[in-house]
Amino acid sequence: MTLLSDMISASAHLNNSNQLPSDEYDRRIRELVEYFRRLQSTKALDSLVSDKSVLDPLLGATLVKDAMLRLDPSCAVFTSSHLLLVRLCLQAKAYSCALPVLNKQICHFPISLGRSSSEPSVLCADHGSAVSFMTEAAGVSSKLSYREYLQYFLYGGMVYMALKKWRNALHFLGIVISTPSTSSVSLIMVEAYKKWVLVGLLEKGKLCSPPSITVPHVTKVYQSLAKPYIILARAFERGDLKRLNAEIDAAKGVWCADNNVGLVSQVVGAFFSQTVIKLGKTFAALTVADLSKQVFPSPVCADITGSAVSSLIMSHALSATLVQTKDHARSSMLRFSSINSLPRLSHELDLQSQLEQEMRLMETLVINLGETNNNLGLSDEYVDSLNKGQAWSGSSEVNPILGEEGGLEMDEDLMGDMS
Amino acid sequence: MDLPPLTMELLSQLVASNAPPSQLYEALSRYELQACLLSTGGDSTLLSLFYSSFFLVHLLTDQVSEGRALTKRIPEALLHQDPSLQNCLTLLRAVWQTQHGQVYQILRGLPWPDVLQPLVRRYESFYQDKTLIAVSRSYEAIRLATAATHLGLDEQLAEKEDPNIISNFTKCGWTWDPESKLLYPKPIVVSPAEPQSSDGIRKAMAMLGTHAV
Repeated sequence: MTLLSDMISASAHLNNSNQLPSDEYDRRIRELVEYFRRLQSTKALDSLVSDKSVLDPLLGATLVKDAMLRLDPSCAVFTSSHLLLVRLCLQAKAYSCALPVLNKQICHFPISLGRSSSEPSVLCADHGSAVSFMTEAAGVSSKLSYREYLQYFLYGGMVYMALKKWRNALHFLGIVISTPSTSSVSLIMVEAYKKWVLVGLLEKGKLCSPPSITVPHVTKVYQSLAKPYIILARAFERGDLKRLNAEIDAAKGVWCADNNVGLVSQVVGAFFSQTVIKLGKTFAALTVADLSKQVFPSPVCADITGSAVSSLIMSHALSATLVQTKDHARSSMLRFSSINSLPRLSHELDLQSQLEQEMRLMETLVINLGETNNNLGLSDEYVDSLNKGQAWSGSSEVNPILGEEGGLEMDEDLMGDMS
Repeated sequence: MDLPPLTMELLSQLVASNAPPSQLYEALSRYELQACLLSTGGDSTLLSLFYSSFFLVHLLTDQVSEGRALTKRIPEALLHQDPSLQNCLTLLRAVWQTQHGQVYQILRGLPWPDVLQPLVRRYESFYQDKTLIAVSRSYEAIRLATAATHLGLDEQLAEKEDPNIISNFTKCGWTWDPESKLLYPKPIVVSPAEPQSSDGIRKAMAMLGTHAV
């Protein structure tokens, strides 16, 4: 329990430390880093993930989240704590606890400071970016593997799925399935592809192709290993409810084995909404009675269909409006008129809000891109290639790496002493 | 931790306070750890009140999925025995299935503890407002009885075209046509929660211009 008490006391110092004098602030940050090191070395929180009886994982998730955000509010450097947090949140079913970290853009891995270790970064110094102090040497992250990277994005996708944020889930799963691989495909990637198919049906109503950067042979492997999912998606796309139900029944064992029963049941629920949305691409308007005939193979009461359609519109799943008539016996009219369904001002406000979000994202990316560019410029590989460029510029031949312009303005080998 | 311990008095004060929902959510979130540690052998009345309030605040901040996740974190024994938490589960089901009529019935008809009443009333009002906005955007013409059902108003009075019921809608700018006996909603526009900066679009466009290759 020593570690637990240490964790609680360290986390108590996490908050309200913005107004501290710099030496006290530095001391607390060091304490926090030490706390992180201990978390990594003892694997105490891993035991919370695997054995719930030790302590509720919610405690671990809250502590790790607070510590991560305190140490690096941008969370732009991928650390082993990212994975730990998401695992704890899934275990604790505290999905929204992971969002402050999951919603941040990851732009860097912790850099190794092998070359410039003579100048270790001072924690209390002003840092333009977290990448300068979230280094391997700082000990805030254990050694990361390819597997952990894939796991983080798969689990992150699962958190978004639990919160029904399908678009974000697709983005995270897309990162997993498009990760470059040389020969074999990781099982984690196959798992992610299976979920990708189901989430694609829920979000877009169709079988989504993997991101364009996915290697073609990897896509073929996915398709052969996830056949029941592809068949299910095809039945969904065809709009054949009977066939869809038959396929779901036929592969029950597969969904259970893959822990995808919940997602598959939601796919059946989404069939109605996606079919109605597709009808909107053909018809400008339909009576609810006609809609019912188009969607359901067996007769369904128009009131039930009407109430389901009204729920779809109110939840913003469908862009349309309903027109009721005085006569109860006459069916309501459904108008697929996305442009007229909302006033112009509302569209503009939504658009402005989206643009502002995109702007913030762009700003973050631009800052991190500059940082990455800077780090690459100081890397051994780049300095070596510059040296080679120098050598090539001495001769009359064109440098194959830098082209005709590379190294022409270098009067002397400024970086020579660093190689 | 700097937080005062979770007690009935503190919780009652929080629930009765008129703090904005987001602040209530933040305050109660901080106490979940304490509740979690209390769950083994703690005061079940206090836990029931905490989890019920926290659940209602989730709904009040329009976080239905997170509210559902919270019900999975509540100790199972407590969840199955406590009537207030059972009410929360019934309410969750109705909200999840967008059964408007049922939601009002649950909020008004089921026995909620007195301490929770301020939150229950706040949620009822929030749900009514939210539904009014949704109905105004979803229907071009709507029968009075249907609109009344969505907003939890008296359906029988609505069938009789009660002027008080009609005025609930006309004061929002909706039009009532006595000939066709239909309401014609005026879509209600809600500004995004964040304050709109006047030069937001200009900045975004400038960035696109600067960084586009």
